[in-house]
Amino acid sequence: MSRHARDDNVPLNADATSSRDLALEVENLRTVFHTEHEQIHAVDGISFNIRRGETVGLVGESGSGKSVTARSILGLIESPGEIDPASAIRFEGDNITEYTESEYESIRGDGIAMVFQDPLSTLNPVYTVGNQIKEALSLHQDLRGTAATERAIELLEEVGIPDAARRVTEYPHQFSGGMRQRAVIAMALACAPEVLICDEPTTALDVTIQAQIIDLLMDIQAERDLSILFITHDMGVIAEVADRVNVMYAGEIVESAPVEPLFAEPKHPYTRGLLRSIPSTQTSGDRLETIKGEVPTPNEPASSCRFAPRCPKSFEECSEVAPIPTAVGDDPDHDAACLLYPESMTTDEAVAHHRPADDGGEQ
Amino acid sequence: MGADTDVGSGSTRTGEFREEASRPEGDRDLPLSERITRNPGPAATWAAVVAVLIAAEFGAIVSGLLSVPPWGWVGGLVPGVVEPVAALLATVAERGAELPTITSRSVIDNTGYQTPSGWEGTTLGLSPAVAWALRVAVIYTYSFTWLLVGWWGYTLYRRHYRIPDWTPRDDVVNRFRRHSWGLFGLTIVFAFVVMALFAPVLGPTTVDQNIENPYENRIDYYNDETGQVESIFVGEANGDTQSRGQGDNNVGPLEYDQYDRFHPFGTLPDGKDLFTFMASGARVSLLVGLTSLGIAGGFAMVFAMLTAYYKGLVDLGVVIAGDSIQAMPQLLFIILASFVLSDTWIAEVYNGGLVLAILFGITGWPALWRAVRGPALQVSEREWIDAAKSYGQRPRVTMQKHMLPYVVGYFLIYASLSLGGVIIGIAGLSFLGLGIEAPVPEWGRAVSAGQPYVATQSWHISLIPGILVVIIVTGFNALGDGVRDAIDPESDIGDGGNENVAAGGGA
Repeated sequence: MSRHARDDNVPLNADATSSRDLALEVENLRTVFHTEHEQIHAVDGISFNIRRGETVGLVGESGSGKSVTARSILGLIESPGEIDPASAIRFEGDNITEYTESEYESIRGDGIAMVFQDPLSTLNPVYTVGNQIKEALSLHQDLRGTAATERAIELLEEVGIPDAARRVTEYPHQFSGGMRQRAVIAMALACAPEVLICDEPTTALDVTIQAQIIDLLMDIQAERDLSILFITHDMGVIAEVADRVNVMYAGEIVESAPVEPLFAEPKHPYTRGLLRSIPSTQTSGDRLETIKGEVPTPNEPASSCRFAPRCPKSFEECSEVAPIPTAVGDDPDHDAACLLYPESMTTDEAVAHHRPADDGGEQ
Repeated sequence: MGADTDVGSGSTRTGEFREEASRPEGDRDLPLSERITRNPGPAATWAAVVAVLIAAEFGAIVSGLLSVPPWGWVGGLVPGVVEPVAALLATVAERGAELPTITSRSVIDNTGYQTPSGWEGTTLGLSPAVAWALRVAVIYTYSFTWLLVGWWGYTLYRRHYRIPDWTPRDDVVNRFRRHSWGLFGLTIVFAFVVMALFAPVLGPTTVDQNIENPYENRIDYYNDETGQVESIFVGEANGDTQSRGQGDNNVGPLEYDQYDRFHPFGTLPDGKDLFTFMASGARVSLLVGLTSLGIAGGFAMVFAMLTAYYKGLVDLGVVIAGDSIQAMPQLLFIILASFVLSDTWIAEVYNGGLVLAILFGITGWPALWRAVRGPALQVSEREWIDAAKSYGQRPRVTMQKHMLPYVVGYFLIYASLSLGGVIIGIAGLSFLGLGIEAPVPEWGRAVSAGQPYVATQSWHISLIPGILVVIIVTGFNALGDGVRDAIDPESDIGDGGNENVAAGGGA
């Protein structure tokens, strides 16, 4: 696992980090789905970045907009979905939201590749695993024939598939779940990407296999200096893989922090709720806490805190003011979007800080 | 290998080719040619049989292949070097046509005449009926041998040379093998295709001699009154062998006429041989049908891929275009358009066949497209399409490699179903006196010609072509059903009809 991004004493706010160190930068991304009755703001103004060789986690419940974020980055949003033109996703200095489809094709794969949740449905059942890896190889490394087969076998070995020379001619159904996900990762590696988006890559797997896949991803990252965006709903997985974590709720990032401060002192009530709902073998006795209710459908621009209806600490103003990310805690990179912060202010002052009319803020 | 344990459809496999015959593990990475070199036995046997089959028809195959390119034109393109080669190839094609083949007319000759001492002119002095039946039997035996040898080659490849011991297609093939209704369809369709392919040698006489140029050809016959062998124009002979319902004016199925010509299906009202007419008409129907299906299928598949991949406006545009075409009455539109085009050069290609094929093609694609649009949209939503996009695969390759194979099966089903429709359509048009120009044989024209005599002793003129159309259209439908059940066994759960048929066949 590479923690060097934080060990370098690089100033941690985005302005000071030179764009050379950023593998990917997402700024004010809004993805809206226009349906007949309403507009769904599936991703509503989120910003985060991934530095080179770093793993950034994106965590949240089902329906919080994690996968739409991933698809937006890859330009895979289809009608009726649309990325707001004011959004920016910067990759290698370009704002890729302005790319045409063919320009997008040129960065998919060798720029940004993706590992999907369900490895069985990601692999085309009528082609052998080797065939599908070779397809990526011929596209991105211009390898064909025997050379491609050899490389495909190497890649399968690299992702820890035993007897790769035989397995390369087998079909996806002949692989076990964990093997399939390894094969999918081998396919992504065949593209030699700089940024790898892992969309719940371990969710369909059982826990022991999950751990193996995470180890594998970390090894590959160390070898290839990959930047990884790791999407999951599992706080336990995030604690293991991520350098920095963004907690997403109903299309917004409610808290973002390096992994240690986040787990040590979570600031947002939602993050606290998530962490309290992890089963643990150490503490026993009480019933496991849950966050009551479900993620609302964000069908209009935020005019209040979207978590307020489920929040144990909500007060009157929560339904009137949309909170903005505010520096919290000791770590300068630790932000939370909650009216309770900044802690140094009284509640009234804090609310005033978040009100849109008020220009005074940390920015 | 533990490959076969977790296949959902395991119960449908016959297990016939499952044995791990002679397939050493080390052969896995070798190209096919290497794998054959290592284990040449089965391939060599197969190749020997194929060689015998080719040798039996060598002349026809060579002349058939070499006479396709227009050599005179090719030679004129680059005079000097190419010209002699082209001329040589043209000669080879001509000579090839003269080589005897087991199915050629001269090997088993059914033309001759009966003298008091027996049959003259036919092979071995056989009666024309027996000689003709023998030739038909040889042709069909030869063709069905090819079918079996093809299947044998496939099983050899599967058992000895293919790297994976199972592929998803195997289940499809095995299901089709046990589908007796589909096999019935395949047999009918194959017999029809053979009839079209071997049309010139299947008939008891030839189209040129009997139908197109009867006054340029003469036949010999034995005149009972003079007791001598005399010669007569075919046209004149035809005048005496008409089937017009009353009195002696009828030559029915399996009868000889007074010039000792055998007519397996009887004669037409103008005295021409109905079987020769039908065989040649099969060729016309099949060619026009396949061409139109190629055009319609091309449009349908391209549009299906594009609409499923891009959806939205592209889809809407094709829906509107398809609906507009389907809103027009197809046959009326074709009649009108073929009239409008009748004076252009395109109307002369293949006696109007090309125009018909194009018109059936451009009016037929919406139906085919609608049939495959659903499956295409379904497969476009599969996650491996997203995965292909996510690693930057080009749209064309994604459509071709990851979508098309899932739609081809459905396409084949609907194509085989609609080919029957096109054949009926062409026959219908020529029944109305449109479409393929006379005297080129077309089944519908035979039905039309026999229409006044349906209630007389000359019933065969309309009835035989009509029944053949019904059988062939049924055959195409049966083949389509069989392919559908083989590709998608779940599509028929509920009615159980085909399962009963399959079970009843007990194959």
